[in-house]
Amino acid sequence: MNKAIYRYELRQRWSSVGIWAGSLAGLLLLFMALFPSFSADMAAMNQVLDNFPPEFKAAFGLNSLNLATLEGYFGFCFVFCQLCLAIQAANYGLSLVSVEEDDLTADFLLTRPLSRPTILTSKLVAALSSLLVTQILFWAVSLASIAMFKGDAQYEPRAVMLLFGSGVIFHLIFFSLGLLISLLVRRMHSVTPWSLGLAFGAYVISAFSGILGDVKLEYLSPFKHFDPGKIISEMQYDTTLVVVDAALVIIAIAASYWLYQRRDIASPS
Amino acid sequence: MRMYFRELKAGIKSLLIWTVVIALLIILAVNKFAAFEGNPESLAILDTMPPQLLEALSMRAFNLTTLEGFFGVMFIYFALMGAMAAALWSSEAIAKEERDRTVEFTLVLPVPRRQIVTAKLLAALTNCALFVLFTWLISVITVRGDAPEKSLFDFLRLEMLAMFLIELVFLSLGALLACASKTPRRVGSMAIGLILGLYFISIFAGMHVKLTWLKYLTPFSWFNASEFFSSGRFEPYALVLTVITVVLFLFAAYFTYDRRDLYI
Repeated sequence: MNKAIYRYELRQRWSSVGIWAGSLAGLLLLFMALFPSFSADMAAMNQVLDNFPPEFKAAFGLNSLNLATLEGYFGFCFVFCQLCLAIQAANYGLSLVSVEEDDLTADFLLTRPLSRPTILTSKLVAALSSLLVTQILFWAVSLASIAMFKGDAQYEPRAVMLLFGSGVIFHLIFFSLGLLISLLVRRMHSVTPWSLGLAFGAYVISAFSGILGDVKLEYLSPFKHFDPGKIISEMQYDTTLVVVDAALVIIAIAASYWLYQRRDIASPS
Repeated sequence: MRMYFRELKAGIKSLLIWTVVIALLIILAVNKFAAFEGNPESLAILDTMPPQLLEALSMRAFNLTTLEGFFGVMFIYFALMGAMAAALWSSEAIAKEERDRTVEFTLVLPVPRRQIVTAKLLAALTNCALFVLFTWLISVITVRGDAPEKSLFDFLRLEMLAMFLIELVFLSLGALLACASKTPRRVGSMAIGLILGLYFISIFAGMHVKLTWLKYLTPFSWFNASEFFSSGRFEPYALVLTVITVVLFLFAAYFTYDRRDLYI
């Protein structure tokens, strides 16, 4: 780990972190501001819903997301935040080392008297710190907006904490996958299409299953692994899936170190 | 002309990838539809859901046991993908010259800047049109087996037209961003950020009566599948707004690109 690289990388990301955290905050505040008027309508409909057999409700994911409660409504909004977090993490992961090659600064960086693993570690830690800062800002805004708009509604703090935790895992998954992909391709000119494909593809796959019931394919999508509705109703993660995701992150990062060590670096010619 | 063909060739791979993705989406979705079809009691619950929620998920007014209803729900995904593809194609075409440091070469060719922009945008427009046509074709092929009625094809035609108009808006938005921005690397992210923001606004617009005015802000609400499904035509205001934004964005794009300082 090299301090100079770490500091440089952090400074590079400041404004990006600011923009992401700012837009997440705006999104959340807008959503939560609607909660008071929304919850009134929902209470009436929940009474009707109670008369239906559970299978029906499961088909529409309504047994798990109760929009009249604060955590249920927050979970509904949280899906959109998950999407933003996934895109941000994928962006950071994909551009972590590829940006040097695209800017033709890779040969400058790699001729420093530092080993490639050291360089990668410094960059990795810097990116993870920026992601962590985003998370902390996001948590602060979430709690503030909940406090502002909850009115006299009660909520389960543990559910909200679990959702926050899933955000962290989300960041890690998409970050490490992005890093791995950027090292698997020979040259990455533009990061956006890749990160979009990754994050949006996963989102659409799971959104579909939410509307229309169950097909096994959806388990490919991390959005399905950390479905807010399920987290809130069960008050815990699905342990197997969390272990699978953790393994995925570790393997992707290990493979990235291995690939970076052997990478043929594109240089100005 | 030569530039146009060069741009087309450069964009073919991207077009293919987008087409494959949307094909997968449609096939996956139509398979799901098979489970839904002819099971009307599963819909009874939809009637009890609050209108805000259905509106937010744009599931109001659609009967999910019919193919029309099904494609109505799918429309927002078509629109989103079309918007992203269009914005990325047009912004990429212009921004990539600066990113890849080829802009000095391109701009010293004996061709005015606006002609270069025109060639690039025409190539992106061709891609957009092809993308819609492929989407249309794939949809028609996948529903063949279900012996659909003619009304489905009418609705599909309307839907594809709406998708193309949304593409036009975002094509010109991407062009403007790329022409006006000083940092070519950021352009793609900016475009995506805007698209996501507009998508979220369209969700808000459906969620609460007090927020319906928001629908004038976002193309995703101008072309609301449930509205043109029931009326069979687009709202006049939507068409007017589309024309105005496209002309405005394109004009601003040409204007700024003609006099901007390049990032080298």
